[in-house]
Amino acid sequence: MASPNGKTIAVLDEGIGAYRQPDPDGMRRFVRDHKDRRLVDKRMTEQDAVSRFVDDGAYVSYDTNVWRRGPSSLMREVIRQRKRDLWLAAKFSTHDATLLTAGGCVSKIDVGWMEVGRVITEAMNAGRLKLYEWTNGALAYRHLAGALGVPFLPLRYVGGTDVFRNSGAKLIEDPYTGQSVCLVPAVNPDVALIHVNQCDMYGNARIFGPGLAPVETAMASKRVILSTEEIIDTEEIRKHPGATTLPYYLVDAVVHAPFGGYPGTVPGLYGADLQHLMEFGVAQAQGKMDEYLEKWVFSVSSHTEMLEKRVGLEKLNLLRAGETHTEGYYT
Amino acid sequence: MTAALTFTTNEAAIVYTSRMMEEDRLYFVAIGGPPLLAVLLSKQLHAPKIAYVVEDGTIAPEMPVPTPPFMIGTGLASSRAVAWTDMNTVDFHAGLGYLDYGVLAAVQVDQFGNFNSTFLGDDFDRPARRFGGPGGATEIAALCWRTILMTRLERRKFVKKLDFMSSPGFLDGSPGARERVGMPAETGPYRVVTERAVFGFDEETRRMTLLAVAPWSSVDDVLSEMEFVPLVAADLQSLAPPTEEELAMLRANIDPTGRTISGDWITLEEAGGRLRRVVAEPAASRA
Repeated sequence: MASPNGKTIAVLDEGIGAYRQPDPDGMRRFVRDHKDRRLVDKRMTEQDAVSRFVDDGAYVSYDTNVWRRGPSSLMREVIRQRKRDLWLAAKFSTHDATLLTAGGCVSKIDVGWMEVGRVITEAMNAGRLKLYEWTNGALAYRHLAGALGVPFLPLRYVGGTDVFRNSGAKLIEDPYTGQSVCLVPAVNPDVALIHVNQCDMYGNARIFGPGLAPVETAMASKRVILSTEEIIDTEEIRKHPGATTLPYYLVDAVVHAPFGGYPGTVPGLYGADLQHLMEFGVAQAQGKMDEYLEKWVFSVSSHTEMLEKRVGLEKLNLLRAGETHTEGYYT
Repeated sequence: MTAALTFTTNEAAIVYTSRMMEEDRLYFVAIGGPPLLAVLLSKQLHAPKIAYVVEDGTIAPEMPVPTPPFMIGTGLASSRAVAWTDMNTVDFHAGLGYLDYGVLAAVQVDQFGNFNSTFLGDDFDRPARRFGGPGGATEIAALCWRTILMTRLERRKFVKKLDFMSSPGFLDGSPGARERVGMPAETGPYRVVTERAVFGFDEETRRMTLLAVAPWSSVDDVLSEMEFVPLVAADLQSLAPPTEEELAMLRANIDPTGRTISGDWITLEEAGGRLRRVVAEPAASRA
């Protein structure tokens, strides 16, 4: 790299991990040509949203995870539609990556942290799954770079570790201070799956509670699919503009999905179904993920049908009633 | 002749760590597991106003006790916080130097406090055992002023060479090693806490140094559980065993489901004014 004064910025070291070449102008062109600036009704079914906006081979980012305010109903639809060769960003993922891998959807994962059991280990050892090492923070930060429309950002960790070695980070001499600093490349996912508390039909969305990087993830991604617990009037949005987390023009699809975070919690609304999470754990330990996926994904045609036939109103009511601590969310 | 006390390996490490925590410092703790329990125990017994952040962006929460089951997957874990932000924001706060201590768990640790939470084996692509990955541990260990690591004292954990260095300690121990790869100055590992020994790091050589040993253990016992040989402090301290009060609080209120505090059982008896370990039962034999 040559700097304007003719001096060279030294790349002192770099990792061997693969990453997609950052392309800020490509992102801008995509936004110019494909993102709607009009207020248009974006409500659609989960089938339509996933079929239109999640392609085989896509880089997929999600927020948060299947334990907590995750886009679980959308992930099940991705599995149901048998999407293939996805590249996931697992920034504090839980067993989302395992579910999608068990469904045969995933070939690469950028790892910060994720729940790992037999499914991931067996897929790696069979050569079906390649992991690239990052950290939770580095992945959130790469999304920030993508959200800022810059090709990379400097950061002050990962250097010197085997994470660095297996990532796409670089170590350079900072042209301002002369000290060493790491760089990580921006990521602009093909599609983001984000579960929100409320949004209007245009995609003006509210997220309550702490999150991983919902804003950066939505801004960085070419396509954004929201699943939402509740669709509210735009008048309500306009009365409380300070409560809006994401403005409509970032969003491509709005999927109405009450209990869309199931079996995880959406804090303030309903608790996690611990029985279901145990069933998942047991299925993985016993090598019965196919049976689990058949029961919860393939044998039902939609999220609504899964709730009706596999969960039931009684359980849903219990999960709502059990979430007694609502302070800070809807109050 | 005897006053028996029984606790698990994890309970001991959590108790020792909780005793180190100070109210006038800000902690960045792993979002679940022993580090979180240590700070929760400290809030109940030693430092009620202690403030901590976790990597989902929750700042200074006050989780109710008894803690909820599966606390990481509940809204209660973030309740009564002063702010709900996001991962980048709390990492920025750490990068600015606001976070005094990071508290983390490690699978393997080496003599310079570098640690592994990624995989065991010799082939990254075909791991003998794969773990979740560093999560936020790498940024926490790089950006907080001091890092406290929690693990079990076992030869397979205190290794000469890590299978994978997920997160940085003092790297190769040479002066300025962390700064040379871009980390902030004057940061690094501070303590390594186990069920029977607490270690620090030598100012000059950056080598792990045995600071304190449980009265039912000994230097020889500790060294026999380590693949590398640490330095031993001239003024070696004795680690007071967990008290009944600490154990009761931990079991009834901090981890009532027992998921995290479970571990190998250690039973101590006092004989002739000396504590000795009379039973050590592996976790698997408890049922």
